[in-house]
Amino acid sequence: MTVIELDDVVKRYRTGAEEITALDGVDFRADRGELVTIIGPSGSGKSTLLNMIGLLDTPTAGGVRLDGREVTDFSEAELTAERRSGIGFVFQKFHLLPMLTATENVELPSMWDTGVDRRDRAVDLLERVGLGDRLDHRPSELSGGQSQRVAIARSLINEPEILLADEPTGNLDQDTGATILDELTRLKEAEEIAIVAVTHDEQLVDYADRVVRLVDGVIQ
Amino acid sequence: MSIADLLWRVPSVQMAWRNLGRNRVRTALATLGIVIGVVAIASLGIAGVALQQQATADLGDLSNEVTVTPGEDAAEEGITDEQVATIRTIASGSTVVPEKTNVTAIESRNGREVQVRVTGVTRASALYGLASGDAPDRLRSGALLSNTTATNLGLERGDPIEYDSRLYRIEGLITSTEGFGSATGGRLVVPVSAMNDQQYYDSVTIFTDGREATALTDDLEARFNEGGDEQVDVRNFADVQQRVGSFFRTLNLALLGIGSISLVVASVAILNVMLMSTIERRGEIGVLRAVGIRRGEVLRMILTEALFLGILGGILGAAVSLGVGLVLFHLLTDDPLLVFQWRSAQYVVYGFGFAVLASGLSGLYPAWKAATNRPVDALRG
Repeated sequence: MTVIELDDVVKRYRTGAEEITALDGVDFRADRGELVTIIGPSGSGKSTLLNMIGLLDTPTAGGVRLDGREVTDFSEAELTAERRSGIGFVFQKFHLLPMLTATENVELPSMWDTGVDRRDRAVDLLERVGLGDRLDHRPSELSGGQSQRVAIARSLINEPEILLADEPTGNLDQDTGATILDELTRLKEAEEIAIVAVTHDEQLVDYADRVVRLVDGVIQ
Repeated sequence: MSIADLLWRVPSVQMAWRNLGRNRVRTALATLGIVIGVVAIASLGIAGVALQQQATADLGDLSNEVTVTPGEDAAEEGITDEQVATIRTIASGSTVVPEKTNVTAIESRNGREVQVRVTGVTRASALYGLASGDAPDRLRSGALLSNTTATNLGLERGDPIEYDSRLYRIEGLITSTEGFGSATGGRLVVPVSAMNDQQYYDSVTIFTDGREATALTDDLEARFNEGGDEQVDVRNFADVQQRVGSFFRTLNLALLGIGSISLVVASVAILNVMLMSTIERRGEIGVLRAVGIRRGEVLRMILTEALFLGILGGILGAAVSLGVGLVLFHLLTDDPLLVFQWRSAQYVVYGFGFAVLASGLSGLYPAWKAATNRPVDALRG
């Protein structure tokens, strides 16, 4: 079942007098239980595409559908709500908040939800990614691989339909990267979610169900 | 569940508190700025009140005093017996003290001469405070002399003193600090009978008994000075007190103004600290926005941080100000606890309120800037 669908998406930026076309008519879709890898040289528009899929940015032209719903013309507030409920993010630099414990970092996206206590789910998620003994540790007390696993747990706290990963193994060594990719593969099946990962990492391509190559804003 | 527990459940509060804990030195310095501002406002305000209280205490009983003197259009050269009788009727219940005055020279045994004002009065006890001796309720054959004059002339209690070819025994010495009117120069007080050659009284002093001096003034004016005919001049010290009061209000405003400047400086410091810390945490705030934290939620979080600085600084500043106030009141009025009366304690409340308000306002711009930053831009840089 298709979770996210991009239809002939164009994204243009204006930098000074110059107009840059970052995406030039991109069609993309991702289904549940599928790991799609987007690869391409730097400046090819990978990050822009991920921002479109993650509803962090809106296209200049074309349409975006999440779960079959048209979200292209959503307001910033509506997009924020969609991100909160339906999309999980994993970043290259983990981006955990240093003053929060592992558990609190996992709870973060649901922290402002009133009347919802996600503590149990956060603990459960951390146990599932093998960090049951690191619940009250701060990010400074965790290794890179542990931090990224906390970040993965955080991305799953609101039971998203899609998980977006921007160079998830970029800051990790080969072996740690492999364990993270094993983790993602396991989650994709267990949670029935779509995972879209942007990478340079050839290792990640091996784990992908489907590889999308992007060159100069066009899918090859 | 306590209020602290409830507050802790508010995510903005919890996040703000932890964010402040990340850079304790910066937080402490920003708080210190606020503390100084609050102390400046509150202790200057309290100082004004303490000074005012000391001053009004010195003015003392003048507030219940009404003085009647002959007016511009008076028919006679003074206040007549008849008028005194009328005054007694109008001011029934109050102490009415008519007096006659003159100027004379007193010579001491060693030949020194001192000019003194002579007052002929019966109820001397109502008018004068004594350094030693008694001021009888009815002065018949004795006299009172001001302390300083007695010292100058080498006179003591019991010594005779001559006025208008008659001798009087000094029964008491008048203290020199006696409010406004009587403090200057030497003074001799003799029985009113000694001045029988003066037909009229020069002034009548009325000590109101619980009655408003201004109300009595109005009544007397209405009775004697009908239709703008100035038969008598009625004065009370209520307007003097009012003027003193308004002077201190002005002084207080000026002091508060000076104090406020330091709080404005402190809030600029908060603005700077909050702006710096939100710029530093740009990426972090981008992550918050990316994972679905709303603009309003980010805004509240940053605003709460700024407010925390204000509240923290406000509480500390209020405590320090109360301490300063205790010392000030102890030194100026001998009653340190007066600082807790609303007149002075209000400045602590103002200082605290101003601190919270100023820090909130300072937090608005950084909070708005952080909240409206596009997550894409924030994450990239």
